[in-house]
Amino acid sequence: MAHLDLDAFFAAVEELERPELRDRPLVVGGDPHGRGVVATANYVARRYGIHSAMSSAEALRRCPQAVFVSPRKSAYSTYSQDVWRAVRDVVPLVERTGMDEGYLELAAAEGNFMRARELAEAVQVAVRAATSLSCSLGVAPSKVVAKIASDRRKPGGITVVPAGKEADFLAPLPIRRLPGVGPKSAARLEARGLTTVGALAALSDPDLRALLPGKYGALLRDRARGIDPRPLELSGETVSISHEETFARDIVEQGRLAEEVGRMASAVAERLQERRWCARTVTTKVRYADFSIRSRSTTLPVGTDDPERLAQVACSLLERALADRPGALRLVGVGASGFEPYRQLGLLEDG
Amino acid sequence: MMETDIAVGSGLKLTCSRDELVGRLTTVARAVSTRSAVQVLLGVLLRAEDGRLELAATDMELSLRASLPAEVEAEGAVVVPGRLLVDLVRLLPAAEVSLEHRADEGSLRIECGPASYRLNTYSAEDFPRLPELEALQTFPVERRALLETVSRVARSASRDESRPVLTGILVRFESGKLVMAATDSYRLSVKETPLTGAGPELEAIVPARALVELGRSAGGGETLELGVLENQVVFRTEGVTLTTRRIDGQFPNVQQLLPDAFEHEVALPRGEFLDAVRRTAVMVQRNSPLRLRFAEGELTVSAQTQDVGESRESLPVAFSGEPLEIGFNAEFLRDGVDSVSGDELVLKLISPLRPAVIQASGDASWSYLIMPIRLAG
Repeated sequence: MAHLDLDAFFAAVEELERPELRDRPLVVGGDPHGRGVVATANYVARRYGIHSAMSSAEALRRCPQAVFVSPRKSAYSTYSQDVWRAVRDVVPLVERTGMDEGYLELAAAEGNFMRARELAEAVQVAVRAATSLSCSLGVAPSKVVAKIASDRRKPGGITVVPAGKEADFLAPLPIRRLPGVGPKSAARLEARGLTTVGALAALSDPDLRALLPGKYGALLRDRARGIDPRPLELSGETVSISHEETFARDIVEQGRLAEEVGRMASAVAERLQERRWCARTVTTKVRYADFSIRSRSTTLPVGTDDPERLAQVACSLLERALADRPGALRLVGVGASGFEPYRQLGLLEDG
Repeated sequence: MMETDIAVGSGLKLTCSRDELVGRLTTVARAVSTRSAVQVLLGVLLRAEDGRLELAATDMELSLRASLPAEVEAEGAVVVPGRLLVDLVRLLPAAEVSLEHRADEGSLRIECGPASYRLNTYSAEDFPRLPELEALQTFPVERRALLETVSRVARSASRDESRPVLTGILVRFESGKLVMAATDSYRLSVKETPLTGAGPELEAIVPARALVELGRSAGGGETLELGVLENQVVFRTEGVTLTTRRIDGQFPNVQQLLPDAFEHEVALPRGEFLDAVRRTAVMVQRNSPLRLRFAEGELTVSAQTQDVGESRESLPVAFSGEPLEIGFNAEFLRDGVDSVSGDELVLKLISPLRPAVIQASGDASWSYLIMPIRLAG
């Protein structure tokens, strides 16, 4: 399998939309004069030691000339959808674990690592062609190794770890790089001089039990040895499809809001039809001028992919939300979930 | 429309029979709103007048009213929480109950034998005005014919409020017969019932919920009184009055939706087929289709859900010609087969993507049309 990770995703999207930022240290995250944290920094900013989860104030201290922008989740989500659509064109079976990362099933190339590398390269090319975004991939026989490998040659790298070489690949890495090792376990292991993944892999049963008792210790040592039986979770792959937009100006007029909701319902329907899915649950989300969010859902007895039907349901949910709390809206969104791969035909449909 | 005057400020005071109160209140309380944000709709209106206690409740879609004899000392009206009142009245220990509204303390006192209660009240002024029925012209309708017709179509009505017309049942009185139809757009039920007397000339879309409720609250008796008042439909039976709003809009054209020619008409024993459908449907999850495969002399019912498993069962049928496979929503198919009266049904088919119709053998007075699920591959 392979793990795909988009390179500095949020920052890369901002650079795409504002090319003048490309060569400047760019930080996507919260207010550096408040209590915000860094979501993503571009590679220029990373040279100043800025990284995700650092406080924005600290980032500003390290690089006073950095440009700070607030995250625009809806823009990222649109790019993310384009990325995964492009990935699926090359590799149909995908487990998305986040907007910017996920696992790819490379069963077609099983055992043939040259072929696996070719597939990974094809994915990179497809993603770049569709979105101009760069990604890194790790190819390995298990999830844990693939994930660590994707981080190895960032940005734009591909790292292949053949079967049998997992433990060798992992051994020299710092213990904290192993997914599942939190700060607490890391501190405990490091206190005993175990600083590398290889040292954890080599622990004897009694030592392991003393250090990290319970099933979790055994699981971590397995991972340190490159053993990870987790399969791709393909069924939970996409749980919902949604479309939302922040308006240039808050909208209060119900007719116009209904129009917007209808437009978003059509976008959702289009994506359902692309996948040949019907959805049973429809959700309408609204954000008021004061940023508070409300969402209303309903589950239909029968799934639909019909834009008019989705719009009808989404609009009645909008009315419900506005009846509970009227007011101007800065954002509306329509979501669909509860997918089924069947199409119940309707009596009243055209054709 | 005339509106009911309610004397505000005066406190009602009366004595009545516990059993009669329980009976009437239980019926009326069915119309109490279950999840309204409007407090007063969670209540039952009590009004004492002319030696009677009148009870009323509404959730704005349907209202129920009934009255019982009472010894009225002071007339007046008040609204009390419906569920609470039903619960406590049911448990009252003695045969006689006295009610007294103390407007000054905003409460209703209930005394019955050794038990006494004080309930906080809502203002009767806030209670929605219900249509005045004094001048209403009504027609007698055969109770059984009406309720039986409702029960044969109600299951097909939609519960989806985003399509209000489909949450209703189309009710049409024609010369000598009553026709009802309901559809949620995936299936359609139509039932014609002959009437012995002359019925009213009437066509209305009535909320299915109200008609089903009518079946529950309309006790015995040969006839029901039916009347229409502007945008309301009124049913009256043995002291209980149900009013419901008419649904505006255009009901789908039933005759146009029912195909007039079929490729296959397959006779099936109702009980065996229903059992086979039920057993097979156990493997249906997430709306996966129930598959019916017809081949020479045999019908195979099967279902399959990915990651769960599959089921399969065959029964002999008189089918000839090219095999045909069609998928249905299991619940819709089960509802249809279950609603057949008689031991044998006919399943009429055109093709896998066209509507199918279920009828009782030799009886075209009821039809259940069901749209298929498109099968993959």
